[in-house]
Amino acid sequence: MGAGVDARSIGKVENFDGLAAGNRRLAAGDTIRLRIRRSGGDLGEQIRFDSFEIPYQASMRVLDALIHVAEHFAPDLAYRWFCGSKMCGTCAIRMNGREVLACWESVEPEMTLEPLRNLPVVRDLVVDRAPYEARVAAFEPWLVRNQEYAGFPEPLTHKEMKDASKALDCISCMACFSACPVIGLGSLTDFAGPAPLVQLAQTALDTRNDPNKVASALEHAGIFNCVSCYKCEEVCPAKIPIVSQVIEPLKAKTAVLRPALAKHSLTFRAIIAARGRIDPTELVLRVQGIKAILHVARALRLLIAGKINPLRTLFKRRTGADAAARRLLRQKDTGPS
Amino acid sequence: MKFAYYPGCSAKSSCAELNEAMRNVAPKLDLQLSEIESATCTGAREIRAIDPIGFLALNVRILALAERDALPLMTICNTCTLNLIDANARFLEDQDIAREVNDRLAPEGLKYNGTTRVTHFLWVLFEDLGMEQLRTLIVNPLSGFSVAAFYGCHITRPPGKYGFIDSRNNRSLEQLSELLGCKPIDYSGRTECCGFHTAAHDERIAIKLTGQHIESAKTNGAQALVTPCPLCHTVLDSFQKEMEADIGRKLDMPVLHLPQLVGLALGMSRADLRLDKHLVSTASIRPHEAPM
Repeated sequence: MGAGVDARSIGKVENFDGLAAGNRRLAAGDTIRLRIRRSGGDLGEQIRFDSFEIPYQASMRVLDALIHVAEHFAPDLAYRWFCGSKMCGTCAIRMNGREVLACWESVEPEMTLEPLRNLPVVRDLVVDRAPYEARVAAFEPWLVRNQEYAGFPEPLTHKEMKDASKALDCISCMACFSACPVIGLGSLTDFAGPAPLVQLAQTALDTRNDPNKVASALEHAGIFNCVSCYKCEEVCPAKIPIVSQVIEPLKAKTAVLRPALAKHSLTFRAIIAARGRIDPTELVLRVQGIKAILHVARALRLLIAGKINPLRTLFKRRTGADAAARRLLRQKDTGPS
Repeated sequence: MKFAYYPGCSAKSSCAELNEAMRNVAPKLDLQLSEIESATCTGAREIRAIDPIGFLALNVRILALAERDALPLMTICNTCTLNLIDANARFLEDQDIAREVNDRLAPEGLKYNGTTRVTHFLWVLFEDLGMEQLRTLIVNPLSGFSVAAFYGCHITRPPGKYGFIDSRNNRSLEQLSELLGCKPIDYSGRTECCGFHTAAHDERIAIKLTGQHIESAKTNGAQALVTPCPLCHTVLDSFQKEMEADIGRKLDMPVLHLPQLVGLALGMSRADLRLDKHLVSTASIRPHEAPM
């Protein structure tokens, strides 16, 4: 690297990104300015933001600020917490547009506090967890063993439990469910969302579980609607790699157990195995089939702009990429394609 | 400065203008690009998910080809960048996996040792060229040009790879556009997702998500967007008509590839930067009167 610059994290310092940088912005006695979104209760359908000023104390958390507001200014403020130590998962809210655990997040000099998104608000900062719980229950998240097994304690290797064990760290705080842009689109897709999928992964990625049971859960997970944006990973207080170690292994399971649901991914892989590179025209035609005709207007625009070229798609110059891909991708590595 | 160059599938097909612009901008910045001609796809999100070993093999081969030439590897696509970085990390942390993948490379006499530095053109500008050097090359400051940065996901998340607790704190594109003379626009879509990775089977997610982002940029006064990723560009530019129909509002928002924005400030012509190859017209971009 030249000039000692780390281009990957430009903005980190000037925006006080990080615990130490954030804490250095405040000293005991400083004023914290809060805006809290209020709704429900006497307000009915109305939404209002109430402003408060409170004194900063060393190591102050968002939860401490909420307790101060409730004790000194707004005894009717609704917020939820139980353990205060990052275990129970009940205190997640949004601070300045980002999902945080109130019990584990340092205060900022100016904070707008709002309830989580994508769940109904009961009152103020308290959301109704019922839609999440219904989705999890529909997955029937337990193990079924139809085969004889050794009894207890059953030997399991860490490799067998690797993916499921990450998912077991979940504290069900819903931060990821609130951050997910696809869940934010409501009923547009059948995507179950990151939090329910983490719960599903605890048993679906457990090698002891009955594959038929796992398959029937995956059928209504909508998993290929995940856009891989990593917003869930970014806000997860348990630091679960939700995309790479929950959703991707679940996609792989789906490709094996229910290949029809993984048509897009399997077609993509088949094209790479044959040609080495992807051509979007071929991918869309093979995945969507006759439905691709719905996009004929865009296809024409792309053709006129020279952005797609059917001749190039069909008669491509060979570069060696195709031969390489054939050596690198092996049929046994995935489900039927 | 010499780099092994990996443009990725998108810049070799439906975003060919990005590859052409990059190739034309590179000599002006004294970057020598040696394209890895036989490189495959990095597996996008699809192979990555359903065939983890195949995914590693595809990426490690590209890393090994760069290593053989003792060159750092420069990309111009967010998703390719993250795939290569992730595969490199996985290769280094698991010796069994590393051996298995190297076995697949062996038939063509390749072996990877884990030494390739993966970088993106955006990072090369800061780390290899340096902002001071770039400043001296600007002949056509883009004064008064209001540009909204659209980062995309895979150049700023996941958190463990790039060091941000909150990816919205990324300022690299804004710092760069300020240096080029532009006025960076703040808006809600900066580090949001374009939805590209589900678009081949269902484009409604991409249209709904990205329509909001472009609308926010427009409301905040952007004359154009700039993105370091051809996948984001595909959605932002090629799907914009469908977004307009969805939200019932004209957007007319030109979307520049990163090398195109840099090239304009370097005084390059619109033809050299292939600004004619976009679906949304870039004709309105002329506060600096780039040569035709």
